[in-house]
Formats: sequence, structure tokens, C-alpha cells
Amino acid sequence: MSEDKRKNDIAEGQDDGATKESRRDFLKKLGVAAAATTVAPAATAKAASIAEHLQTHFEMMSDSQKEKAIARLEKRYSEQFEKQVTVANTPAPDGVLFGYALNISKCIGCRRCVEACVRENNQSRGEEDTRHLPIQWIRVLEMTRGNDTFQLENWHKGSPSSSPIGDYGVQSGGHADKAVGISGHAEHYYYPEQVPEENSFYFPVQCQQCEDPACVRACPVRATFRDPNGIVVIDYNWCIGCRMCQLACPYWARRFNWGEPILPNEDMNPKTHYLGNRPRMRGVMEKCTFCLQRVRDGRYPACVEACPVGARKFGNLLDPESEIRKILANKKVFRFKEDFNTEPKFFYYMD
Amino acid sequence: MISARKHMRAAVLVGLFFVAISGLILHNMPGEAVAQEDAAQHEESGAAVQEAPAEATQEEAAVEQEAPAEVAQEEPAVEQEAPADAAPATSAAGVECYESRKDATKILQVQNANPKYGYPNVKCSPTTGAVLWYGDPYTGTEPIGEMPTYGDKTDGDFAQAVIRPRTGHLKTIQQTNMQCSGCHQAPPQQTNPRQLMMHQDIVSDASKLQHGRGAIWCLDCHNAENRDTLIDQQGNEVSFNQSQKVCGSCHGDLYSDWRMGLHGKRTGEWKVGGKKRWWTCTECHNPHTVQEHRFDPVKPEPPPALPRGMSKDDLKGAEGHGDHGGGH
Repeated sequence: MSEDKRKNDIAEGQDDGATKESRRDFLKKLGVAAAATTVAPAATAKAASIAEHLQTHFEMMSDSQKEKAIARLEKRYSEQFEKQVTVANTPAPDGVLFGYALNISKCIGCRRCVEACVRENNQSRGEEDTRHLPIQWIRVLEMTRGNDTFQLENWHKGSPSSSPIGDYGVQSGGHADKAVGISGHAEHYYYPEQVPEENSFYFPVQCQQCEDPACVRACPVRATFRDPNGIVVIDYNWCIGCRMCQLACPYWARRFNWGEPILPNEDMNPKTHYLGNRPRMRGVMEKCTFCLQRVRDGRYPACVEACPVGARKFGNLLDPESEIRKILANKKVFRFKEDFNTEPKFFYYMD
Repeated sequence: MISARKHMRAAVLVGLFFVAISGLILHNMPGEAVAQEDAAQHEESGAAVQEAPAEATQEEAAVEQEAPAEVAQEEPAVEQEAPADAAPATSAAGVECYESRKDATKILQVQNANPKYGYPNVKCSPTTGAVLWYGDPYTGTEPIGEMPTYGDKTDGDFAQAVIRPRTGHLKTIQQTNMQCSGCHQAPPQQTNPRQLMMHQDIVSDASKLQHGRGAIWCLDCHNAENRDTLIDQQGNEVSFNQSQKVCGSCHGDLYSDWRMGLHGKRTGEWKVGGKKRWWTCTECHNPHTVQEHRFDPVKPEPPPALPRGMSKDDLKGAEGHGDHGGGH
């Protein structure tokens, strides 16, 4: 990086008029220090500019700052992935509260939603046999269908049936046919030849887009916040990677980038949104955003379009004619872990 | 307020420290090696179906059907990496994938229908061949046609509803490349339920049809007078493209759910009244086996990567893995 370019980058980083003078000076000095450390090897297209590190929170940026930030990102991504990448800043549509409904009596556990999500949202594809696991925002849990507690063949067995003290027909915890301490079982590493398997049902879990999100409360720097359409988003540039939100989330919906994301150029989806599927850097949190880049353009999320059985429904909760409102009115609906008072905008329903 | 600012500053400091370190490490990572490894991984998944996205429009489906999977198997991973920003003319021959249900729709040709962003139109899974992603969800569709009105407000949805015609995807028509009337010109002389000499790949024993629990037979849905069409319970002739009318004449509750969008699949715009591709009944359900299973079983996409130190053997049985659900 030449001396001039570095100066320019620093100058660009200063345009956050909203912050205090002292902070700016402080950041400027730090920025120079950071630049000095990264300059040593030949600067690659992958390296984020100093200006990008010094930009303010997305919500605090003025329009011109947003434009600059997005131009920087588009340039960097286009160089890195060797194709024209667009980073949109489509605003949240008015009068819309996004809701999602999933029919658990239809889901066949084929995981096509997971794959579609990975492709659409530029998740890291990961590497075999390293700590660098692929990132998937959706998990599909497989559970045993039926009343697990009282199965006829286990009717006369106590629990645990394999207890060292013998089988006395006394329920001592857990389920009648499960060892103590295991109440029911959900498996997301299932790998049968074909799905759906008999006596199984499937329960996909992803970000529930809570109305009172525990992750937002936990974030010390407000890098994650709730957008006006009810989607919880992350400003990846503002995230410090402390993983407090991951700890706070009761739904296991957040994923952390432990390493530089592995995203082959040809697999990269070039249509991105600043708060949505733009390529993430190492050390930041990421999660489902209901495909922000698609739904703000009017399209269904990718998982809805990929689901082969139509178990996934999406729409505007404020429109009484929408699919989602009709599901709430007509079907048996529940929310996952309702007792946490997080008020998810993600509903599960049955026929 | 002051403490909050202090907190922010500390956070930024920590962030910048990470940035400095990450910058150093990042420069030592050869990007090419990463890409190659990933390509190797793709090869390992070893499916006959290639990764390159595929799409066949309706008109081409009939022509292209002689170039199926054998071609795909002969040509290894060379053509696999069709760039996502391919020019509209680019196509990878021999790619075969399907939408909701295997044998219901086959997509045999790559076609870039959305050059605005350089999208391929359809992306298929390299492991199962299932369509995962639509660039333009309306390719090859036509207006849904006349729909009976029930007086509810969702009627606005019909104005822009489109479907993909089913006729070209019917199994026999694909195999023989001709309409049903090519063989069935006259109405059958025998109309009682019996085992047929033909079409055993579709229905193994028509006298035990897996639909309607013995109450219905072929000619309750297939029009005996004109085999290129279906017939509903009121005796109306219905096109194969409009199978929902036949299904709906018995399954009224599901039909009404489908009309409201509570049942079945739609792609396109989420807005009420927006342009949507509706999926008709037979695109997801096989009407001949629907009693056995609502959906034909399919091969699932691969499971998520196991945490380090865990093998598949650790997963067998319920014991011993009540605690790995964390991942945090």
C-alpha cells in the first residue's frame, strides 16, 4: 500500500462527524499503527481498508458515509471474487413486519433449505479435517415420531432399563425408555439413504427473529440490532467477535467465523446486501436474516423457494390477507421455547 | 453514558488489535490452495449429477431429453465449475436435476435467464441433483388460467399467478415423445379395475391403486374420451396443467388451503397479489402412490460437519450424545 493511498484511507475513515473529537484522534493514531503492521507483506485484495475498520456503526452513518462504505466494499469484494459484486443498501419497506411459518407435519428433513441458504448467503464452505468447519445457519433436527414416553414394548420396563441395580419398573427420571437425564432426543447429524424415515419428524431451527431478542440485549457494542421489519441483523464491521450474543441466544441460531471464510469465487453469490449476505470476515458473528437481500426486493427467502414440500411460508404479519396471517388464524401454531419471552416472529404449525 | 462510551472505545481497541493480527495471518494464507482443496472436496462428493446449474424451458424439454445423465457421468469435473457470471450462451450439456419430485420435472440444460446480475437461472445440488436455487422463478411458466372464485380477497393473487406446464414432464410423454392420444385413440372397451399390461412403471397393479383405498381407478381421473386430458368428478375435461382442479374436486379442504397459500409451494414475490409461481398438486405428490406416502422419499443433502473428535459411530443410539447439542 503506497503512502498516498494509506493517507487517503485514513482520511476517508475520519468522515464520521457524529463521533467525538477525542475518539477520532484516538482512532486515527490506532489506524496508523494498524496500517503499519499490515503493510509489510504485499497488500492483497482481501485485506479490508483502514477506512473500513474506522467506519462507524451502520445505523449512525450518514447517507454519504453509507455510500462510501458500500463503494469500498463493492470494490474489495469485486477484486477478491473476480466478478462484479453489488452490495445493496435497500431500505426496509414500510408497513411490513416479516413473519415466517414452518409446517412441521410436512417437513421431510431433506436439508435442501440448508444447502440453499449456504449458497444464497455466502456462508463459509469450510474444510475437512480442520477446525475450520463449514457454516450453516439452519439446523434440521430429527426426532422420533409418536409418544416417546409410553411405548408398548417398554410398558413394563423401568428406567433406566440398563440400570446396574436392576429393572424394577420404577420410573426414576428422564423418559420411561431412556436413560436418566436424557429427555427425548433430537439428532441433527442424521444420514439415512432416504428421507423421510418412518416414525421420524423433523424440526428445522434457524434464527427466530425475536421481538425481544436476547442477542441484541447481550451485545456490548450493539453490532446486532433489530431492523424496522423485525429482522435481527448484524453490522459485521462493528462486531467485535465477543460471542456474547451466541451465548445469549436460546435457539442456537448464531454462527461464529472462527477462520477466514472459505468461499470459492465461482460459488459466491454476487448480489449482496450490507446487512445480509455480503461476505463476512473472520472473527464475526453471523446468522439468518430471512434473506434480507431478497425479501427487501420482494422475493421469498431462498429456503422457502428451495423447500420441495412447501413446508416453509413467509409473509407480512401486518397484512391480514397474507399467507402467514392465514396460517396464524387457521392452523395449530406454536413458537419455539415460548417461555423465554423472546416473542419470535418464527412460527411452527401443524396441519 | 460516559461509561458506555468507554466501553465502546475499549471494544474498538480490541477490534483493531484483532484486525492488526488478522491482517498478518491473512497474508500468509495462499488463496489458490484453498480454492483447489474446495474443488477436490466437490469431486469427492462423487455424484453423477454435476454442480453446474441447469435449466430447460418447456419447449426445449422435449428436444433435449435424449441427452440425459450418461453424458454427465462421462464428463468429469472439468465443466463442473461453470462460472456464475457466465454469459447467457454458456451451457453445460447433460446436467440433469429436478425440482420438488424426482421424475416430475427434469431440468436438462443450463440457461442463464437473468443476465442482469450474471446469475445462472437454476442451481442444483451436486450431491442429490435437487434444484436449490432459482434466479428467475418464472422461466417457462404460463398464467395459471381460470380459477373458480370463492369470494375471498386472495383472488387478487390469481391475477399474477403462473404455473409451469406439466404436459411436457409427464413420464410416458417424455419416454415416447408423443401425446397419450398417440396410442389411446378410442375409449377402452373394458372399464373395470384390473391389472394393466402397460404403464406398470407408473402403477404396478392398477387394480390396487395406491390412491383412494380401492374406491377409484384410472378412468376416474383420466378422461376416457380424450386421453390427453383429465376429468374431474363433475365430468369436466381438465388439462394436465390444471391438475389441481381434479384433485380439488375430492380434496376440497386441501384445495382451499392451497388457494390461500397455506398448503403447497410458491416461489416469486411474498407480497399478497405479487407475481408468484404456484406449484400444482402433482409437482410435489405422485397421485398414483400418494396413499403409500405423501411425498416420494428422496436422498437428503449431507449432514452438517461433525465436531472435531466425533465420528459417526458416536451417534448410534440415544445414549451418550445428549450433551453435544450446544455447539456454543
